[in-house]
Amino acid sequence: MKTLAFDTSNTSLSVSVDQDGQQLASFFSDEKKTHSVTLLPAIEKTLQDANLSITDIDEIVVAQGPGSFTGVRIAVTTAKTLAYTLNKQLKGVSSLQLIAANITEFEGLIVPYFDARRSNVFAGAYELKSEELIEVLPDGHYVIDDLITQLESLKRPVMFVGTPIEELTTKSDNLDAQFSSEYIPNAHNLVKLAKSINPVTDIDAFIPKYLRYTKAEYDWLKTGETSGKDYVQRV
Amino acid sequence: MKDTIILAFESSCDETSVAVIKNGKEILSNIIATQIKSHQRFGGVVPEVASRHHVEQVTACIQLALDEAKVSYDDLDAVAVTYGPGLVGSLLIGIMAAKSVAFAHNLPLIKVNHLSGHIYAANLVAELEYPFMALIVSGGHTEIVMVNNPGEFERLGDTRDDAVGEAFDKVGRVIGLPYPAGKQIDEMAQLGNDTFDFPRAMLKEDNLDFSFSGLKSAFINTMHHADQIGEELDKNDLATSFQECVVDILTEKTFRALENHKVKQLVVAGGVAANSGLKKRFEEEIIKRKLDLELIVPPLRLCGDNAAMIGAAAQIEYDQGNFAGLDLNADPSLDFE
Repeated sequence: MKTLAFDTSNTSLSVSVDQDGQQLASFFSDEKKTHSVTLLPAIEKTLQDANLSITDIDEIVVAQGPGSFTGVRIAVTTAKTLAYTLNKQLKGVSSLQLIAANITEFEGLIVPYFDARRSNVFAGAYELKSEELIEVLPDGHYVIDDLITQLESLKRPVMFVGTPIEELTTKSDNLDAQFSSEYIPNAHNLVKLAKSINPVTDIDAFIPKYLRYTKAEYDWLKTGETSGKDYVQRV
Repeated sequence: MKDTIILAFESSCDETSVAVIKNGKEILSNIIATQIKSHQRFGGVVPEVASRHHVEQVTACIQLALDEAKVSYDDLDAVAVTYGPGLVGSLLIGIMAAKSVAFAHNLPLIKVNHLSGHIYAANLVAELEYPFMALIVSGGHTEIVMVNNPGEFERLGDTRDDAVGEAFDKVGRVIGLPYPAGKQIDEMAQLGNDTFDFPRAMLKEDNLDFSFSGLKSAFINTMHHADQIGEELDKNDLATSFQECVVDILTEKTFRALENHKVKQLVVAGGVAANSGLKKRFEEEIIKRKLDLELIVPPLRLCGDNAAMIGAAAQIEYDQGNFAGLDLNADPSLDFE
């Protein structure tokens, strides 16, 4: 099984080409470059380094969010289009779980997070059981205070994984918390995490896990109108 | 000569469209998924919502376009995509999808200026003769352009503020019409009279530029003033007065441009080209001025945003060997050189 995996959920770009659990080639960039510009050339380069053509790939795995809306959309659009147009298997993995997977040993809750600004984070909580990451708190959009309260109630040691946010650090005083510096995503871990995930059955319907309404939708939902499904029409 | 078949993508605003075009002339398919109903909830296009819808639609649109055209990837010669101007988040979906298809099937990639697309929609319905002139009138653009040779554009006039279609939508909102308001204002304008005589901006100025924000303000002030004194204004008269004013401005500047540029064809493109008042006045003006001029207004489906026009414009780039790399990015404020 040959797998192409990539993540552009946040600032960095990570691509991995694997065969049966072994990484054949990889690409990583943490430069502040536009993912829309760099992603396909990075995929092309990684495949070349692995001596493979895109048509040799059996499976595409992508970090499906949450994260930067645009960043996640770039990866998801690329993954779903490649999988669709080449008729390959597609899998989506949580972008939070992806950075949680950097922690391979910890007794307690592994809490990956991304800054969602204005005292909010995208976060989840996982625990390691026989080398598998099991969800404890679902990935979501949390007010930092609420996340801390929920973690406090679980009364477990916590390992935060994410780009440091001062507010989160300050408010974790009552937690038995550590802060890992291993928060850079590595697409090779997508391949590992994807093993326990079922392939997407409807590629057309595959979309990012934004975990957050747009402000316009949020305000509109408050008006009490019912949410329909026919907002887009083929004419 | 061998046929050229291009798979084209357009996603610059709130339509996801994929088309298959033969030789830049023949539409084999032109799938359009419109988000109008979604954005009507908000009274206008919300960029993040638009981007999300594009991701939902894009692969299904590709499949429909290929099916309807009865072609497979082996039949394709190139993949084309709008790279600007437009909403950056929206543009990126078409771009990433087009790049992925081009990469996966080892096909050349062609980047297309959305405005060039609007102009070359005319190539799908007429035989173009260079040089010709184009008036682009849409929700995002109001431009007079000379097309001297294939793909060679010279902008003669532009809006200084609002695009003309934007003015229709804003005025429509003030009189309580749903977004987009152009079609309804056009219908109401058939029923009223030009009683308000709104200001015709920049007509006396010696240039070919437009301004519509003053008209919009005059319209809103008229409404507010009537509200304050409890007067009920005739909405059809308001619509007629607005549309007459817009048509006067567009006609005056376009025909002034035609006085100084010898062309045999005038293309009117973009969503506002569907306006019946505009088309009628242009036809009358050509007769009145005894011009030997062919007026080309593509049908409604090709005036709004669609990928067929992108495929038509892409053929010119294909013929000239202009191809893009996999590092193609969106250029939201792309213009003519």
